[in-house]
Amino acid sequence: MEIAPTICTQALTRRFGELAAVDGVDLRVAPGQFFGFLGPNGAGKSTTIKMLTGLLAPSSGRIEILGLDLQTHPVEVKRQIGVVPEGMALFGRLTGAEFLSFAGRMYGLDRQTAANRASELLEFMQLADQPRKLVTDYSHGMQKKLAMAAAVIHGPKVLFLDEPFEGVDAIAAGTLKAMLQRMITRGATIFLTSHVLEIVERLCSHVAIIHQGRLVAQGSLEELRAGVQAAGAAGGGLATSPEKLTLEEIFLRVVGGSRPAEQELSWLA
Amino acid sequence: MGLARNGLRRIAAAIADVVQQLKLPKMNFGRPVSTQLKAIAELRWRMFVNGLRSRRGKTEFASRMVVSSVFALGGAGGFLVASFVSYLLVSQGKPEYLALILWPILLFWQFFPVMATALTNNPDSTELLRFPLSYRSYFLVRMAFGLFDPACAIGSLGLLGVWLGVTVAQPLSFVWTAVVLATFGVFNLLLMQMVFAWLERWLAQRRTREIFGLVFILLMLSLQLIGPIVAHLNKASRPEFRRAFEIGSQVQEVLPPGLASDAIAQALHARIVVGLSSLALLAAFGLAAGYLLHLRIRAQFAGESLSETAGRTAVPQIQTPQVGWDLPGFSQAVAAVFEKEMRYLARSGPMLLTLIMPVFMLVVFRMGPLNPIHHSGGLSRTPDMAFPGAAAYALLVLTNLVYNNFGADSGGIQFFYASPVQFRQIVLGKNLAYAAIVVVNTVLAWIAVRYLYGAPHLAVTVATMAGLLFAAPLNFSAGNLLSLYSPKKRDFSAFGRQNATQTTVLASFGMQIVIVGFGVGVFAVARYYNDLWIAVVLFLILAAISISIYVAVLRSMDRLALERRETLLTELCRA
Repeated sequence: MEIAPTICTQALTRRFGELAAVDGVDLRVAPGQFFGFLGPNGAGKSTTIKMLTGLLAPSSGRIEILGLDLQTHPVEVKRQIGVVPEGMALFGRLTGAEFLSFAGRMYGLDRQTAANRASELLEFMQLADQPRKLVTDYSHGMQKKLAMAAAVIHGPKVLFLDEPFEGVDAIAAGTLKAMLQRMITRGATIFLTSHVLEIVERLCSHVAIIHQGRLVAQGSLEELRAGVQAAGAAGGGLATSPEKLTLEEIFLRVVGGSRPAEQELSWLA
Repeated sequence: MGLARNGLRRIAAAIADVVQQLKLPKMNFGRPVSTQLKAIAELRWRMFVNGLRSRRGKTEFASRMVVSSVFALGGAGGFLVASFVSYLLVSQGKPEYLALILWPILLFWQFFPVMATALTNNPDSTELLRFPLSYRSYFLVRMAFGLFDPACAIGSLGLLGVWLGVTVAQPLSFVWTAVVLATFGVFNLLLMQMVFAWLERWLAQRRTREIFGLVFILLMLSLQLIGPIVAHLNKASRPEFRRAFEIGSQVQEVLPPGLASDAIAQALHARIVVGLSSLALLAAFGLAAGYLLHLRIRAQFAGESLSETAGRTAVPQIQTPQVGWDLPGFSQAVAAVFEKEMRYLARSGPMLLTLIMPVFMLVVFRMGPLNPIHHSGGLSRTPDMAFPGAAAYALLVLTNLVYNNFGADSGGIQFFYASPVQFRQIVLGKNLAYAAIVVVNTVLAWIAVRYLYGAPHLAVTVATMAGLLFAAPLNFSAGNLLSLYSPKKRDFSAFGRQNATQTTVLASFGMQIVIVGFGVGVFAVARYYNDLWIAVVLFLILAAISISIYVAVLRSMDRLALERRETLLTELCRA
C-alpha cells in the first residue's frame, strides 16, 4: 500500500496576467523526506513555495498538506507547518525573545511554554547574548537564524524553507543543518529551495527541478541520475558515468543550461 | 567681552564648517551634482508614472488630486486672509503688527506636520546614501523633499499673501518685502526639517527617549503655572497687565516673526539700516537652524546608526524566559498581537509624540483661545467644550495607526498569513491596543482639563465617553477595511514620512466628517432640550449601531484578507 504523501499538488498553476509562473505542477513529497526544490532564477520556486504555505493563491490546481486541502482547511494545515519565506517574515521592532514568544503564542502555545522554548531556541541559535537588541538591528545571518527558530518553535511536522542558508555563516549553517537532520530523523518532512546545489546534494534525499514554470524532474538523487543516464544513452552516449554525476551536472543537463558565451565589457576594469 | 568674542569666534567657525561641508566636492554646480539631482527628479517622476499603470495607482492619483484640492482651498483661504490683513495693517500705518500674521504662519508650518503626520510627505532620503552622492547634493535633496510638504506649501501661500497685501499698500516695497519674507520662509523650512531631524534622533533610543520624556513632563508641569498666572493677570490692575503684555511683545520682537515684521516695518518707515539689522538677525536664526539641521544630516550622511544595540556580553547570560502578556477573556493570539502592538508603539518615538499631542494641545489652547469662562449652562463652560474636543482629538491622532494597521508590520505580514490564526483575531488584537490607547489618552485629557480648565460636568463626561463608544468602533471598522484595501509600508521610527496612502487620507477625512457631523447633531439636540443626558442616550443608540457594524466588518476580515493577500504582501514586503 502506498504511503499518503505529506505534500501533494495536482496541476498547480499560477498565472500573472499572460505569464504562467507555475504551470501544472504535480508534486509528491513523502513523509520524512528531505526534499530539495531546484530551478534557475525565475523558474517558479518561490511562487510554488508561497502557494504551498498559503502566502499566494493558486490560479488553479489543488494543494494537500498532511492529507488536508489547503484551501478548505488553511488553519489546520498552518498549525502543523513551519515556514521561512523569502522575506523571512520578521517583526523588526521586537527583540529576538519577544518575537519568538509572540510566534509561539500565535501557533497556539501557552505563554509559559512559548517563553521557555523562545529562551531555548535563542541559546541554541547563539542569539541569546544580546537580549535587548531589536530584530531590525540583527545581521542578515542572525535574522535567518531567528526566522528558522520561529518556524520550528511549535514543533511542526512539515517545514518549508525558502533559501534557508543564504547569508548564513559556515558555523551557523552547520548548526542549522544539524537541527534539520535531527528533525528528519524524528519524522518531520522538510521542503527547501536553495541555489547552493552542494548543500541540497548533501542534505536532501529527494529533489524536484522546475524550469520555466514546469516540473522537469522529480525523484531521489539516484532516480535523477538514472534518468539523466537514460536520456543521455537515448541521445547517443553519456560522457560521464552516472555514479559520478553531481547534482550540478544533473541540474544543468535537465534544465538544458550552458555557460553563456564569453562577452567582453570593454568599460569594465 | 572675552566670552562674547569667544562665542562669536565659535559661531564663525561653525558657519565656516557648514560652508566647507556644503562646498564638497566642488564649489560650482558641476555636472556630477546636477546630473545626480536630475536623476533623482527623473526617478521620482518615473515612479509616479509607473504607479499610474495599476488601478491602485490611479485611485491613489485621483485621491491625491482631491486632497491637494482641499489643501489648495485652505492655502487660498490663508492667502486671501493674509493679503487682506497685511494690506489693512500697512495701509493704516501699522506694519509692525504684521507679526500677528507671521506668528500663525510659523506655528502652522511647524505644528501641522506633527499634528497631521498622515499628510506629511517626506520620502526617506537615506536610501540614496548608497550612491556616490556628495554631501551638498544630499542636503539639497533633503531640502527639495521638504518643499513638497503640505505645511510648506500652505505656509508659503500665506507668505505670498502677506507679500501681496504689503505690496498693494506700498508698491515700492515689493522687492524688500519679498527678500524678508523669502528669508522668513527659508527659516521656516529649515526649522521644520531641523525639528523633525532632532526629534527623530532623540526619540530613536530608549535613553534619549526617557530624557526627552522627562523634559516634556517637566515642561507640561511648568505650563500648568500659566493658568494661575493668566488668572492673576486677568484680575490684576491694568498697568500690571499692560506690563506683562509689553514684556511678551518685546520678547516676540527678537524672534523670527517679530524680526521679519520689524524688517518690513522699518523699511516702510524709511529706516533701512535698522530694517537691515532685523533682516540680518532673521537670517542668523535661519543659519542657526540650518547649522543644527546640518549636524543631523551630516551624521546621517556619515552612516549614523541609531540602533539600540546593547554591547555584546562577554559571558553569555542565562536569560530568564520572558512570559508574554495575558489578556483575560481573549485567546493567546489576540493577547500576543496586543502585546506586540504595544511594544511597537512604546519603541516608536514619533508615535509616542503624536499620542501625547491631545494633552499638549490642551495646554496650548489654555494659553490662547480657550480661557476658562464659566457660565451656568452645559457646553457653554470651557471645560465642557475642552474635554469632548480633547477626547475627539485623542481618537483622531490614532488615524495613522487605525487606517493603516499593517503598515508597520512590513515583512511581518507574511508571518500573519503563514500562521494558523484567523485574521479577525489579529485585527482584534490590534484594535484592542488602539482602544486601550484611546482610553488612556481620554483619561489623561480629562485630568488635564480638570487641572487646566476645571472639571467638566458629569453629563458632559459621560456623553463624551458614549460618543467615543460610537466613534471608535466606526473608525476601527473603516480603518480595518482601508488597512486591507489601501495599505502602505511605514517606518515607525521615522518622523515626517508619509504614513498613509492618499486614498486612506481622503477616506479617513470623509469618516471624520461623518462622525463629527453626528456628534454636532447629537449635542445640538441635547442643547435644544437643555438636557445633556439626551446626548448620552443618543450616543449610546449610535454606539450600538456602530458596534454592530464593527462586528460585521471584523467577521469579514478573514475573507477580505485572503482576497487582498497579494496586494498586502506586495506592498508591505517591498524593499
